[in-house]
Amino acid sequence: MVAKKVIETKSLSKVFKNGEIAVQALTNINMVIEEGEFVAIMGASGSGKSTLLNILGCLDKPSEGEYYLDGVYVNKLNKNELAAIRNQKIGFIFQSYNLLSRTTALENVELPLVYNRTGKFLNPEEHAKMALEKVGLGSRIYHKTNELSGGEQQRVAIARALVNDPAIILSDEATGNLDSKASIEVADLFVNLNDQGKTIIMITHEPEIAQFAKRMIYLRDGRILTDEPIKNRSTKESALKELGITA
Amino acid sequence: MRQLFKTFKVAFQAINKNRSRSLLTVLGIIIGVAAVIMTISAGEGANKQVQDQISGLGTNLVMIFTKMEHRGGSHVRMGRPIDKRDFDILQKNAVWISKLSPLVNVGAQAVGPIGYKSTVVYGVNHEYFDILSRELSSGDFFKEDDVKTANKVCVIGETTREELFADEDPIGRQIRIDKIPFTVVGLLKEVGQGAMGQDQDDVILAPYTTIQDRLYGHRRGYDMIMASALNENCVADAKIEASELLRESHKIRPFEKDDFEVMTQVELQEITGNITGILTILLGAIASISLIVGGIGIMNIMLVSVTERTREIGTRLAIGARESDILTQFLIEAVVLSLAGGILGTVLGIIGNQVIYKLTDFFIPTAPYSIMIGFGFAALVGIAFGYFPARKAAKLNPIDALRYE
Repeated sequence: MVAKKVIETKSLSKVFKNGEIAVQALTNINMVIEEGEFVAIMGASGSGKSTLLNILGCLDKPSEGEYYLDGVYVNKLNKNELAAIRNQKIGFIFQSYNLLSRTTALENVELPLVYNRTGKFLNPEEHAKMALEKVGLGSRIYHKTNELSGGEQQRVAIARALVNDPAIILSDEATGNLDSKASIEVADLFVNLNDQGKTIIMITHEPEIAQFAKRMIYLRDGRILTDEPIKNRSTKESALKELGITA
Repeated sequence: MRQLFKTFKVAFQAINKNRSRSLLTVLGIIIGVAAVIMTISAGEGANKQVQDQISGLGTNLVMIFTKMEHRGGSHVRMGRPIDKRDFDILQKNAVWISKLSPLVNVGAQAVGPIGYKSTVVYGVNHEYFDILSRELSSGDFFKEDDVKTANKVCVIGETTREELFADEDPIGRQIRIDKIPFTVVGLLKEVGQGAMGQDQDDVILAPYTTIQDRLYGHRRGYDMIMASALNENCVADAKIEASELLRESHKIRPFEKDDFEVMTQVELQEITGNITGILTILLGAIASISLIVGGIGIMNIMLVSVTERTREIGTRLAIGARESDILTQFLIEAVVLSLAGGILGTVLGIIGNQVIYKLTDFFIPTAPYSIMIGFGFAALVGIAFGYFPARKAAKLNPIDALRYE
């Protein structure tokens, strides 16, 4: 059985024009990510990671090249169709969680379903509770976001990214605001979700976090420098051991 | 439907998060709506009082007076004054008119046994009381003979009695009007405040002949002739008839305009209705300016809110909200704010009307349409001033909004 291509880009490039100055942010990106993969995208700042993620996340359009997300040719979509595809096929996780303040975990997780027009989620609350249980927050459903720790907040955000059963989860420096232990727990959660079949793309500049993924794409100056499988994958235990903390 | 409910819920949550700020913002709308309701109601109340007063004059009333014109800032009498000749012609020839009374008035000082008072003395004949359907609480009206012989008798109102006699019975007693002694023969029933706030009980009525002989000096003619048509249905006929008779009496040629005016009670009602109507509109318009100011307050706070919540907007866009979703969300928030202001303002306006009634005795019935205007205006202000910030929110670029610090 041939695995389904979740993401496919063909000669993708992106140029930012600011008056006379044109900045080539991405050049000739060709990649295929199949269902069930767990990819870490790494690179120094300015290497084009965020630009790539914005395009993959349908927040931005490429200047050239083609982008197919779960079989949909994204280039041709209008604003509303892009909103719909973000809603249905993508789960975003941000560095600073981006949760609604003073709102319960449950309501935060329900949010994507509020904007879902497919009628697929008739009982948003049920779906949201299930997603929160998956990330281990089943007991904190009614806690408000400001009553949760950073790691817990990020897990609420992960539940929010899961709730719409997306084709792909896009994580933008999800561990950037967390301490090492919480970071490892979030990375471990990604591994678990990946084991359950979720496709995950994780942008990070922390090599030890990237080490949890199955495949690493390294960007430099807007080009793919290396793209290879990760051999010695970290586990929660190994990473904690390295930190000198026992689980 | 569920979507709309959710959107409302989000709006309420957002407002609730900044309770004191929201309340202060809404204050402008509250005051605006209350002001609109109170001013329109006050105008309506005044109008109603005036109308009631004029209705009280009797539906048969026809008034004939000399035409006045504004010339160089003062009232100038045009043409011949209305006088005894006109009165006699009307009395002799008019078939649609049943009762007639001249009216002359003069300011004078009245002195009674207890006190004194500056007041207006009206000179009328015995039919005047019927024409204006005034009633007595004691004593009697003066008679036709009193008018013929220019007898020094008078009928006084309740306020005048209080000032001149305190608690004493005035009937049969003497008062001096500009030093001339008059015998009080009747006391008018109390009717209260008049249309424009004047006291209708602050009055002295005496035979016009006496007034003309004793107090009027060298002024010619009458100030007015008051008449009563045979019945309600022939008021218009009475008016036409009176005009024709007076044109003849004044020798006005066919192409010339009348130098007098004949006005019926209905016309008087229309004119005063117009005046108070304009007044009401003017007051309402001034009050609605405060609503617009309140709307600007809402716009301002919504703009602040959009800036504060840029990240939230970015997140919502990223997880699949359309521009229209964001637009609706912020628009509803503004409308909810202004409608809340509308409701509170309506309550405040109604309470304000009651307070004014309690304090000043000026009854203001809250006009239902003033509530509709105030409320509708508040909603309109919410939409109009909420649209710009909402659009600003909807047009945010999700990438920039997500990174906004």
